[in-house]
Amino acid sequence: MKNEIKKHNDGLFSKALFKQSCKANGTMWAIVTVAVCFMLACVMLISGSGAIGEIKNSMQDSIITEEIDSQLQTRSINYYRYGEEGMRKFDETFLKNVAENQAAFANPSTAESAFTAAYAAAAQSVQAHAQKKALEINEAYTAESAESKEIVAAMTFPINPNGIFNAMYANEAESDKPEDYAAPLLTHAAAGDLTAYLTGDERAAYRSDRAEYCAAVFLAFNMTQEDNVEKIVNALSSFGVTKEKYDSFNYTYATIKRLGYTTAIDYRGQLAYEKEQLDKRLTAGEIAADEYEALFLQKMQEVTGDITESLLASLPQEVADALKEIGEMDLYTLIVGSIFYKLAGLLLPIIFTIMAANNLIAGQVDSGSMAYVLSTSTKRKTVAFTQGVFLTGSLLSMFILTSITGCVCLCFVENVSLTYGKLLLLNLGAFLVLFALSGLCFFASCFFDRSKRSMALGGGLSIYALVAAMLGLFGSDVIPSVIRLESLNGFNYTTIITLFDVISIMDGTSAFLWKFAVLAVLGVGGYIAGAIRFNKKDLPL
Amino acid sequence: MSVIKLDKLTKDYGGGRGIFDLDLTVEQGEMMGYVGTNGSGKTTTIRNILGFLKPTRGAAYVNGLSSWEHSSEIAAEIGYVPGEIAFPDLKTGVEFLKCQAEFLGLKNMNYADELIARLQLDPRANLKRMSKGMKQKTALVAALMNDAPVIILDEPTTGLDPLMRATFLDIIKEEHKKGKTIFMSSHSFEELESTCDRVAMVNDGHIVDVCDVARIKNRPEKEFKIEFHSRRDYLRFIGGAYEIIRNQEQYNQVTVKIPAADAAALLRSLRAYDVKFISELPYTLERHFKKVLIEKKEKETHEKRN
Repeated sequence: MKNEIKKHNDGLFSKALFKQSCKANGTMWAIVTVAVCFMLACVMLISGSGAIGEIKNSMQDSIITEEIDSQLQTRSINYYRYGEEGMRKFDETFLKNVAENQAAFANPSTAESAFTAAYAAAAQSVQAHAQKKALEINEAYTAESAESKEIVAAMTFPINPNGIFNAMYANEAESDKPEDYAAPLLTHAAAGDLTAYLTGDERAAYRSDRAEYCAAVFLAFNMTQEDNVEKIVNALSSFGVTKEKYDSFNYTYATIKRLGYTTAIDYRGQLAYEKEQLDKRLTAGEIAADEYEALFLQKMQEVTGDITESLLASLPQEVADALKEIGEMDLYTLIVGSIFYKLAGLLLPIIFTIMAANNLIAGQVDSGSMAYVLSTSTKRKTVAFTQGVFLTGSLLSMFILTSITGCVCLCFVENVSLTYGKLLLLNLGAFLVLFALSGLCFFASCFFDRSKRSMALGGGLSIYALVAAMLGLFGSDVIPSVIRLESLNGFNYTTIITLFDVISIMDGTSAFLWKFAVLAVLGVGGYIAGAIRFNKKDLPL
Repeated sequence: MSVIKLDKLTKDYGGGRGIFDLDLTVEQGEMMGYVGTNGSGKTTTIRNILGFLKPTRGAAYVNGLSSWEHSSEIAAEIGYVPGEIAFPDLKTGVEFLKCQAEFLGLKNMNYADELIARLQLDPRANLKRMSKGMKQKTALVAALMNDAPVIILDEPTTGLDPLMRATFLDIIKEEHKKGKTIFMSSHSFEELESTCDRVAMVNDGHIVDVCDVARIKNRPEKEFKIEFHSRRDYLRFIGGAYEIIRNQEQYNQVTVKIPAADAAALLRSLRAYDVKFISELPYTLERHFKKVLIEKKEKETHEKRN
């Protein structure tokens, strides 16, 4: 009886060998895959539940409130200064008008119309002055620009000519609303000491008081308007401030007004003190009269700076940077990307790779069982190709499963910056790292006849790559600079896992692409070199 | 056409180890034994025939194809039982045999089943827990099941008990009867003498002799050892016309060499003597090769002297 022998196919792929490899390594693959998927699910769900980073979040919040406060304080001081300046300008113009039309003011029949004309001219001059001021600050701030309008409004707001800003006092109690700006002028006009009053200290104090109060109201009104809130949020977006976050800090009309008011009072008080000091020095002859103006401006800026200084600005640059960095740090991305996919999640697959790569070639040559494969007219090329396909395929299927696990877990996680696209790129990156390492292990397995040597080279280098990446992590940019050990960064240059650029993937830049390509080329190179070596070497079978 | 041909086959591992300038042919249907001490190069030769090793010089050919270049083609013609039995990482013997059948593209397992029955093998056993004998049987089934025309066995009976060895050799002999070409290495002379057509002896990497087993068995001369009861008879006998190759006076013993045809005449003439015993000293393969080796050594020392 003659058995039927099918003519053996000359293809590169042997189904029988593939099946045999599956049977021999299947259990290990299944255990490793389940373990990795389980760990991934734990990492993603636990760290995504919001339990992590509470201290970090409160730190971030306090930095952000300080920043917002600082913004508000700066505005408050500006409004105070503009308001005060506007009123001063008004009074100057009014006084000039009174001096020019003394006769008309003196005549009771024309006094009222003269007053009205002077009032209108003064109000007019404030607006012109404000627009000129805006242009001085920036040439682009023409009369039509928002900035110019804001300055004009800030300067005219305390005067409130013809009640045009009445709507902005809507939130104020009736008793708190200031008297009409013209009222004291009318009183003194009637009393006949208008000129003396306008040039006196009493009027200057009156202007400052009024400016303090008006700056607070102006600020509170403006900062409760939607479009202005948006501006603040945008300005602070680099600190991770969102509209929701801003709202969660509960900035109300009352709190903003109180903040604005105290700031203006502080500013006025401190500036008065500085002015007094300067005056003393001028009197004592310590400073020349022509220096006075410049010194005063400088003091004014210093005072403004002192009051509005934010938390970060008050700290040394390095500490401020570190705090800002921690505030901005995305813990979820760090844990899932740099710690799980780049390190922890690689360990078991690397062990699988080392053992499987060794079993597929070197182990069988060492034990001699490869003889059964080769004595069935299976070509060595076919053996190398099939085993390479098995190794790559088992890793690929492993990471397809982790991708699915990851995507499912991401469904349950909210408020994270990780997207499905980035998650898939992380899986691809981890696969490519393992592909490159498996190329190395496969080459070692093909190169040596002895299991222990193949393990020593392939396994040793693979584990080294992982350990170096772990040490390197503490020197890499994903670790906040406070606890970063720059010197450990050197390890990152000695391991191919560095080519898995998690930072680039997370930032959405394209630097990771060429690194992926290098990993793929390294892997393919390892497989090809291994196959060539296996095809040519002596086998002790 | 010769099925296996070694042409100046050399695999030099350095330091005098390896095989050197082997020339050997195995004809179609022949059973060739390959004998040598441990480390003499038997396994290296077989690995070269199967194309696992690249020869340093020369080549091995199977069916006219050089082994190294055409290892996969020649493998289809060969059933191989390796010296060291190590199976792939599979659970049971059945799984292993099925896997091998798949490699061979073998659909029909009838012959394998028949072999299993003949060997009284239980292939369902766990491969790792199999005894040496079971493993050897499993390996033999795997090598024979696709009815390959050439069978190469590397020390197949080492470690088997005598009964098992006999069964084993019977099966190999049967395959030989079917017309298969068999190449079997061993370090046991008797085993090869009883089964093979020809036996090649390898020593220190060189083939020192190839001899026809039939010629050893049917030598034209025979040797007999005779012991006499009395000194008188002994002295009378050595005075006769027989060629005496060994004389042990103290035991009244003598060894004579006679042409095979003269055996009857010798026995007839011994009727006149009081013989304690008579036994034939068979000329075995072992004796033959020992003689060859001694001659070779003498030749070498002789050459050295000159």
